[in-house]
Amino acid sequence: MSYLDNIRNFSIIAHIDHGKSTLADRLIEKTGLVDKRDMKEQYLDNMDIERERGITIKLQTTRLSYKAKDGQEYILNLIDTPGHVDFNYEVSRSLAACDGAVLVVDATQGVEAQTLGNVYLALDEDLEILPVLNKMDLDSARPDDARAEIEDIIGLDASEAPEISAKTGMGIDEMLEKLVETIPAPQGDPDGRLKALIFDSYYDSYKGVVIYTRIFDGRVKKGDTIRMMNTGKNYEVTEVGYCIPGTVPADELKAGEVGYICGSIKQVADARVGDTITLASDPTDAPLKGYKKAQSMVYCGIFPAEGEKYENVKDALEKLQVNDAAFNFEPENSAALGYGFRCGFLGLLHMDVITERLAREFDLDVITTLPSVVYKVVMKDGTVLDIQNPSNLPNPVDIAHIEEPIVKADIMTPNEFVGSIMSLCQNRRGNMIHMEYLTKTRVQLHYEMPLNEVIYDFFDALKSRTRGYASLDYEFLRYQPAKLVKLDILLNRELIDALSTIVPEEEAMAKGRGICEKLKDIIPRHQFEVPIQAAIGQKIIARETVRAYRKDVLAKCYGGDVSRKKKLLEKQKAGKKRMRQFGTVTVPQEAFTEVLKLDDGR
Amino acid sequence: MDRKTGLYIHFPFCVKKCNYCAFLSFNADESVRRDYANALMHEIELAGREFSGQISTVYFGGGTPSIMDVSLMSLIMKAIRRNFDVLPDAEITIEANPGTLGIKDRVVRAKLIAYRSMGINRLSMGVQSMDNVRLHMLGRIHTAENVVRDVNIARELGFDNINLDLIFSVPGESTEDALEDARKIIDLRPEHISCYSLQLEEGTPFYEMAEQGMISEVPDEEDRETYHRIIELLRKSGYEHYEISNFARLEEGKEHSPFRSQHNSLYWSLDNYIGLGLGASGFMDGIRYQNTDDMEEYFRNIADDQLPVMEEKINSAFDNISEAVFTGLRRKEGITYEEAKAAYLLASEQGSTASGVIAGAEDMSADELFWKVFAESREEAEEYAAQGLLVIDEEGLRLTEKGVDISNGIMSLFV
Repeated sequence: MSYLDNIRNFSIIAHIDHGKSTLADRLIEKTGLVDKRDMKEQYLDNMDIERERGITIKLQTTRLSYKAKDGQEYILNLIDTPGHVDFNYEVSRSLAACDGAVLVVDATQGVEAQTLGNVYLALDEDLEILPVLNKMDLDSARPDDARAEIEDIIGLDASEAPEISAKTGMGIDEMLEKLVETIPAPQGDPDGRLKALIFDSYYDSYKGVVIYTRIFDGRVKKGDTIRMMNTGKNYEVTEVGYCIPGTVPADELKAGEVGYICGSIKQVADARVGDTITLASDPTDAPLKGYKKAQSMVYCGIFPAEGEKYENVKDALEKLQVNDAAFNFEPENSAALGYGFRCGFLGLLHMDVITERLAREFDLDVITTLPSVVYKVVMKDGTVLDIQNPSNLPNPVDIAHIEEPIVKADIMTPNEFVGSIMSLCQNRRGNMIHMEYLTKTRVQLHYEMPLNEVIYDFFDALKSRTRGYASLDYEFLRYQPAKLVKLDILLNRELIDALSTIVPEEEAMAKGRGICEKLKDIIPRHQFEVPIQAAIGQKIIARETVRAYRKDVLAKCYGGDVSRKKKLLEKQKAGKKRMRQFGTVTVPQEAFTEVLKLDDGR
Repeated sequence: MDRKTGLYIHFPFCVKKCNYCAFLSFNADESVRRDYANALMHEIELAGREFSGQISTVYFGGGTPSIMDVSLMSLIMKAIRRNFDVLPDAEITIEANPGTLGIKDRVVRAKLIAYRSMGINRLSMGVQSMDNVRLHMLGRIHTAENVVRDVNIARELGFDNINLDLIFSVPGESTEDALEDARKIIDLRPEHISCYSLQLEEGTPFYEMAEQGMISEVPDEEDRETYHRIIELLRKSGYEHYEISNFARLEEGKEHSPFRSQHNSLYWSLDNYIGLGLGASGFMDGIRYQNTDDMEEYFRNIADDQLPVMEEKINSAFDNISEAVFTGLRRKEGITYEEAKAAYLLASEQGSTASGVIAGAEDMSADELFWKVFAESREEAEEYAAQGLLVIDEEGLRLTEKGVDISNGIMSLFV
């Protein structure tokens, strides 16, 4: 019997909120490699933001030890996956490191769009899937319905799916037994040539980049010179070990095992997720399939707010980049906002997370501009430009046409909401491809939609129209020509470049009016009238006016009023600090991000 | 600098609450008023033990102090003189609302005679309007005729320092209406006029009515028009506009009226004032405090020989200069650099200077210190000056009449 027989490499896949992280915590607790007193809630979600939002963004991996009823001691390598559509590629690489997956389905909710998306990713990697019904402690649990949905929609046999409650610990032992039985042991040749998959990495200020890896063939130890097959870079291994969790050094890692490798690597971009590690002295023939360089889908400008230093923002972005290969930035100069950075993200959530970390971990005060997608601008001379900043759009007379990114959006919903989702998607220029009844009451809608329409507040609008029941999964499909124009905003007759957007020509009028109305509410009254105008080229298409204020005075200030009045003045002063001066007009920072959130649920 | 100390005594009682009023006051029967007077006298005694200086002003405010029985007022005044060193020429004011002094002439006369004999030498009357319809709308209990009668009786009895309050921008009121009110008040030749733009304060019936759309606030443009027209009218009629909302009658050929409210001026000069009674505030050598506004607790504290102070804040040097500046800017004179420096270096009760003083502050010239403390606001202040809203000269800073309209924005530079 080989040591491989006692290893199980698996992931937990689930829709957001279906209890993946809670289950992971319970497993860690049960299998005893972490002291109970060291347990934070949801051990694997180790960033504050993740814990707060209840979503996993950064992967964590951990080694568990389980003594099964057959008397054998098993090593279970739990490879956690991020739970958001923005991070599909990371999910797929984590799954590639596994031999099986536990599919957690919330017994009160049933199968959701992302469940399906993740199952397909797992099937693509040829994984054994063990369905599990969670939240069985709740009165609203409908295990039979959930089981039927798993069988009908996914096509997995769920008759023996363990019924558990990750929260209370109910059914966990049975689940572990089932896991050891269902998920196959890894295969591989420990004496072959090294072939290992990078499925995650993070930057540690002492060790440099720590690579999480699954060894498929061969072995690796301290002192070996490894090569990243896709980037071609060589590094000397300074440490290998297991994640228990954290890093615990070991002599070597060999085929079938999961662990970490350090090699004085300076930034995570040099150890890209999906790359294959081999030995420089005796490389394997071909890298593992599936490597992709992370591609930014959404861009926005990040500028230091009034009183914040450019250098501080730059330092912080650099530190974040060291740890996040999918995040990139370059310097940008805006007439309105000064020097700042153009930043690329995988999606909106990724963008939110980064900007929130800037505020929280680095205590920075920044202005983020409207998110934008990358447009392909085909010029009359045949050249093609990638434009992700609306202010860089060339003169319209030189443009042959513009192409915008289209995504395939899958929306899963109870059938009662189909009508309102269809009208929402229609408003967002969605094109319905087809609709299918997954069960009698659950429908999946397949749309093709411009990414531009998805990135603003589509998800919020979807949730609010379906009382939170609908779920969304989307992926990039293709570029497609569209009639698009640049919509400019002028405040007090001055163009504010940071407020320019690219919009469909037919919607320009409505969008322009909407933005002007919104700005009218956001911009405080000044001592003079402030005209707000929306323009396409030289043509003004909408206008609003912020009336001048004439009165900002307290009539009375006697003995008892001093403290109250002072608080009021302090509040006024603080409010002003969060604003930005454009010529003579003062604009609150929220204007740049709030302005396009035009709720079309009206 | 010579810092004065005033005494403020609060009476939280009214016959009826006005529709625009957010002050602490309520209706109370005779027994509550008596208990309150007793507690107040005890508080006066407790506070008197802790203060050894001289009192240059006494102010009975409310609420409506004039609904207090004169016998009780007389006892309270005696308690004050027994426990505090009230200067012989002290300004002693009582807020006397028309209609509360009495229904019959005889009663009004008797009450006012009693006030005179106690040493009260200034009357402040909450007239608010000289139009009976508007008075009714405001929720006042008096008529324009009551005002004329009460003022005339007070004059007969020798009151030679009378303030009349006027409110403008009452919903539905035009600039002309307001000027008419002002003219009628000027006709009574009061020594002092306080003239307030009505503010809809949360928790008042007016606020509720406005929320429900039953009344609508006078637009800012019209309100400011009224304000400036009233200033013009009062100036022509011989009144000095010495604070944002306050006017004092000038004597022939003089620039400085002797009738400015000495007590209220303490508030705008960072002088000391001792606040006594329910919910009253005080400021003493850099410490701001406020009494409890819970009547039960007030009585309990006094019964335990405790001053009923609920909140106390020790000002930093910056707090002091900041308060001196934004209150000082309310005055015609504005704030001088010297006053600001004195406020910044204000010694606390223990004799030590307030916290947060920048090194070498004592040796700096007053204007240098000022602009060092407010360095980051200087540019904006100068912009206001360039726009003719603020005057900055070698003495200090002051608002222009236009600057008053947006004074909160200017004052917020200095907090």
